[in-house]
Amino acid sequence: MTGPELAAIAPFGYVVALAVLVILADIVRPGDERVTIVIGTVGTLVGLVLVVAVGLGGTVQPVFGGAYQLDPLTTFLDMLFLAIAFLTILFSPDYLRPRHYPLPEYVATLLFAISGAMLISAARDLLVLFLGLELLVLPGYMLVAYAKRDGLATEGAIKYFLLGSFSSAIFLFGLAFTWGYTGTTSVAGVASHLQQVVTSGQVPAAGLLMGLALMTTGVAFKIAAVPFHYWTPDAYQGSPTPVTGYLSVGPKIAAFALILRLFAEALAPMRADWVGVVVVLAALTMTLGNLVALTQDNIKRMLAYSSIAHTGYILVGLAAFAGAPAGSSAASAGIAGVLFYSAAYTFMNLGAFAVVAALQGRPGVTSQIATFAGLGRRAPLAGALMLLFLLSLTGIPPTAGFFAKAYVIEAALQSGGLVPWLAVIAVVNAAMAAFYYLRVVVVMYMQEPAADAQPVTDSRPMRLGLLIAAVATVLIGLVPGLLIPMAQAAAAAIQ
Amino acid sequence: MAGLPLLALVVFSPLVGALLIAFMPRDRVVLIRRLALATALVSFGFSLLLLIGFNGAASDAGGFRFVETATWVPAFGIQFKLGVDGISLLLVVLTTLLTWISILASFGPIRERVKEYMISFLILEVGMLGVFLALDLFLFYVFWEVVLVPMYLIIGIWGGPNRIYATIKFVLYTLVGSLLMLVAILATAFAFASAHGGDFTGAFDYEQLRGFPFTDVLQTGAFLAFFLAFAIKVPMVPFHTWLPDAHVEAPTAGSVILAGVLLKLGAYGFIRFSLPLFPHAAQSFAVPIVVLSLIAIVYGAIVALVQTDLKKLIAYSSVSHMGFVTLGIFIFQQQGLQGAVLQMVNHGLITGALFLLVGVIYERGHDRTIARMGGLAGATPVYAVAFGFFMLASVGLPGLAGFVGEFLVFQGSFVAWPLYAAIAVLVMTLGAAYLLWLYQRMFTGELSDFFRGLGDHLTDLSPVEVMTLVPLGTLVLLLGLFPGLALGVIQGPTDSVLNAVHGTVTALAGTP
Repeated sequence: MTGPELAAIAPFGYVVALAVLVILADIVRPGDERVTIVIGTVGTLVGLVLVVAVGLGGTVQPVFGGAYQLDPLTTFLDMLFLAIAFLTILFSPDYLRPRHYPLPEYVATLLFAISGAMLISAARDLLVLFLGLELLVLPGYMLVAYAKRDGLATEGAIKYFLLGSFSSAIFLFGLAFTWGYTGTTSVAGVASHLQQVVTSGQVPAAGLLMGLALMTTGVAFKIAAVPFHYWTPDAYQGSPTPVTGYLSVGPKIAAFALILRLFAEALAPMRADWVGVVVVLAALTMTLGNLVALTQDNIKRMLAYSSIAHTGYILVGLAAFAGAPAGSSAASAGIAGVLFYSAAYTFMNLGAFAVVAALQGRPGVTSQIATFAGLGRRAPLAGALMLLFLLSLTGIPPTAGFFAKAYVIEAALQSGGLVPWLAVIAVVNAAMAAFYYLRVVVVMYMQEPAADAQPVTDSRPMRLGLLIAAVATVLIGLVPGLLIPMAQAAAAAIQ
Repeated sequence: MAGLPLLALVVFSPLVGALLIAFMPRDRVVLIRRLALATALVSFGFSLLLLIGFNGAASDAGGFRFVETATWVPAFGIQFKLGVDGISLLLVVLTTLLTWISILASFGPIRERVKEYMISFLILEVGMLGVFLALDLFLFYVFWEVVLVPMYLIIGIWGGPNRIYATIKFVLYTLVGSLLMLVAILATAFAFASAHGGDFTGAFDYEQLRGFPFTDVLQTGAFLAFFLAFAIKVPMVPFHTWLPDAHVEAPTAGSVILAGVLLKLGAYGFIRFSLPLFPHAAQSFAVPIVVLSLIAIVYGAIVALVQTDLKKLIAYSSVSHMGFVTLGIFIFQQQGLQGAVLQMVNHGLITGALFLLVGVIYERGHDRTIARMGGLAGATPVYAVAFGFFMLASVGLPGLAGFVGEFLVFQGSFVAWPLYAAIAVLVMTLGAAYLLWLYQRMFTGELSDFFRGLGDHLTDLSPVEVMTLVPLGTLVLLLGLFPGLALGVIQGPTDSVLNAVHGTVTALAGTP
């Protein structure tokens, strides 16, 4: 391997090594949670520095025969993935410890999954993309099933595993079609082949469209877009709460990374053929996610459906890209919107799940929304934080969630075709969503605490994680200018 | 005073107070109350400096003074831009005044969770002041939404028995309207940017957007989106149904702010944004809006007549009175618009005071059923005088503030549309009817059994209560006798709004 190749895969390799280190440390000091937490958090922070350093180095030439390439988009996504890992590690011990679930294996599995996500963000070859996807989801199945004696967890894990493998297979089948008709697995190669097809004015071959349809279906499963979302509520409800938090952001944003690499790059010349599907998926996903969330009494299921709705909002950004002419500022605004939204969503959603996890510090606390009763009075800080995260998820300014929505809506308005109408659908949905988010606020602030209410956990890692999530949620909303140039630079990597 | 960012100080001084209170121990209730009051008074003081320095301050091309500009989100050309003209000046002073009065009036009634209450109230003030002062549409929207959450909490936590229903209704109504306005704001910004080669610089700047020739389709769409947001807030019939619920459930101070300031946000939005930005669309929708305003005036008055709950009666009277405001705005006529602005201020002062007075009697008896009241004139003479004074001001007695605004609106509408004005005048007698009848039922005759049962609890106004009412009463008298004080500052801005509307159409029926 040459120097540039080593530099390019350094962040990926580092995270894999970190995962191994966590396991080794557990062998040397078995049962010492603190070692795991320190290695996990400090390690991900060092990884963050490494990603930035490599990213600033500006190694943009492809390595490994063009299959792997670092660009600003990779850097942006990798930072996000490591932030997700960092926060998830902080939020998990309080939940796992009282239930006697071992932490080291958990952290190592999580880091392996993150390495898969990082592989996706740098992949320039369809097969490497698939490899990254599998490396991402396989540890995910294990995490969902981490509470192996819990019936709900097992049910959720089986559903997640079956539908996940199924959708991977469909996706792979689509890749095979694409490969067959374009004769290459390289992202750039597929793009240039399709460009020829489009410019020559030929009708794309039926097989190619078949491949497109299968790949669309595959990724729609992964991001839990309606009508491919059925696994989500069960998997989210059954998983240990910190895992649910991770599931709602990690695999979702990684799948969006896959979509950006595949649809916004390889399949971009055929955007006229898939923009309609994305518009419909976005509209359905937002609307159905919110409608069903309205009726949920279980906070994890409610947040599961809310995360489906947020998938819809992110898809609005993708639709804005696809509906606009290639290379236009509107197209680039769409991608930047996807990235900005993903970052904002990461912090506010992980934060909300962390508060849920903090409430469940003692085994036996259910996920009913009623457990939040009087939280504003019995744990004012946790209540205030949950209020902040919920307001951000609703999209009330000046929070991250508000600016993220404004960003994708502005992109959609600039785009062509039916895409501007998504802006209207998005805001109508946001108003609908306010109802169920604010219902939690009602329970927290306008109802009395239950007599047998359990105390909220308050360990240092949990506090630190909540603080970071809250500060990020406020900061991205108040000073979006900090994040926008990064999102724009990352979006500029996609032509 | 030159160089001092006076507007930012007015807007953000309550935020500083809220942050200070957030770090105070929750059991130091007295200290928290005092700090909140002091903060509100500081903001009030800054707004008075604004009032004093207003005439001497230089104004920019758009007629705004004390303009402060800073970039906020450069990628989208979003600015932090504040500025004040005559209209916003009056509303800012009204807001800072009513806020400290409301906080003072909450000392007694609010005993639970005082810390959260005061923080909510101060953040609410930040939002309201920001709405009146923002000259960037995005910033305006942010402040507009900031108002929502504290009011949601104030009604939902410290409100009456049915508070949760009322507060959710309030939030959902407002949110539906405002979110479509967000789309419209972004769409106008994009239209502006495309006309400037995709450059978003100034795309949210009110003064640059004003006079920008938006296409008719965009004007219509954006006008309707803004209209929905503002009409819900005013509220105009048929978007008013959240108001009586919210008023009845809100704590006294919440009602004061709701009636005194929040309703003005919508009317202010019409004057500041809907008319100058989308003059064409405003012209084409004027007639239906005038009709809706007349319906609101009549309907509010009739429904007020039959109310059994004191607070609900005043709430419906607000619907009626705010109908005069929207009528005055959409007849596009000088006296009408000036009358509308005056009516906004006057209604804020008078109805604010009436809600305080309702709160006084509710504190004594924890009941607002009109039928159980009677004979208060003998038992609580000071209260009876105060109530009578503000009741007469609300009816529109010449010499008191309520008269001037309504009179100007009538005058304006007679010039423009005599028939509508005739209807409105007839309704004014209805207004007199429900208020005078209310006064008769509450204050004359024998002391009712209900009040008799209260025994020693039925006390007259306390010094603090008097203190909350005196400034309002003074202003009602002052503005009634010398309306020129207010008309002088609003003349320029209202004329420029009308120029923007009339400049785009050649003929308007009935324009003098």
